[in-house]
Amino acid sequence: MTDETPVGDARSGGPTGVSRRGLLVAASAALPALLAGCKGVQALGTPPPPPREIRVLRAAITAEELMVARYSAALTRLPTSNAGLLAAVRAVQAEHAAHLGQLRSRLVEPAGAPAPTAARAPAVAVGSSPGTVLGALEQAEQTASNRLLEQLAVLPPTLAQLFASIAASEATHVPFLQQARAEAG
Amino acid sequence: MTGNAAAAVAALQQALAAEQAAAYGYGVVGAHLMGSAAAASADADWVAHLRAGSELTTMISAWGGQPVAAAVAYELPFPVISAATAQQLAATMEDRVAQAYLVVVALPEAGLRSFGAQQVRAAALRAEAWRGTTEAFPGMRASNPRR
Repeated sequence: MTDETPVGDARSGGPTGVSRRGLLVAASAALPALLAGCKGVQALGTPPPPPREIRVLRAAITAEELMVARYSAALTRLPTSNAGLLAAVRAVQAEHAAHLGQLRSRLVEPAGAPAPTAARAPAVAVGSSPGTVLGALEQAEQTASNRLLEQLAVLPPTLAQLFASIAASEATHVPFLQQARAEAG
Repeated sequence: MTGNAAAAVAALQQALAAEQAAAYGYGVVGAHLMGSAAAASADADWVAHLRAGSELTTMISAWGGQPVAAAVAYELPFPVISAATAQQLAATMEDRVAQAYLVVVALPEAGLRSFGAQQVRAAALRAEAWRGTTEAFPGMRASNPRR
């Protein structure tokens, strides 16, 4: 209640707009609403966990961010003399960027959701051979593909289709990179 | 038949039809690749499609449906006149098979979803082997800019 709340109406000289008794009733009626409001604030303090599909989608987004970062790291470790290998790795990275775009477009974040943290790829040792660098990428692809397929049951139909399609794409990156590696010699 | 069963049967029938068309197509592919190193791949893929078709037939019956019969012949999407066009046909059929299985992935039953997704992945892997390139979204129509 503030000073602006009209209590009585002495200055206007007219009949009392709101009787004292009426005010008390109004105040007691407002009390439960006020308590409910407090409860609401408490509930905001500890938000309920997001639905499972949202958590699964967020995890998939993080995994794709990590994958894009892995390829960026790998690109700095591959010999610049091998144009074919670099092109192959860049092509795969572009597909991961496309996956990431599609996954992000499916996530409607509620207001006040925590900002996502930037994905950090595991460091690739300086002096790693192209075989080691690509071998690690191939392993990451297979793991990521399998992980997506494990999540299908909890997803709405169209999101399950997106996961299945991305899982298939990631699986194909394994033989694609192996072939690029073989051709690089 | 419940709504779920009808949807499952419809999606599985589409997948079966795609498998039957692919099995037919691999016959054409194999004929053009005879004697080449790729002939063994064509054979292996043909067998994979026959097996998948047989599995689908069993599944459709289990869901209370009547499996569609294979056609005697299928119209090819383009003329196959060489080893190169034969390989292109194999890849194109795998795309179609992947598209059909992606419909199965949208079904609510976890088992069917998983089966459909495994088949999308298998088809994408065979397409990659024939084409030598990958796609960002195998099985999705109109969203794959060809590279």
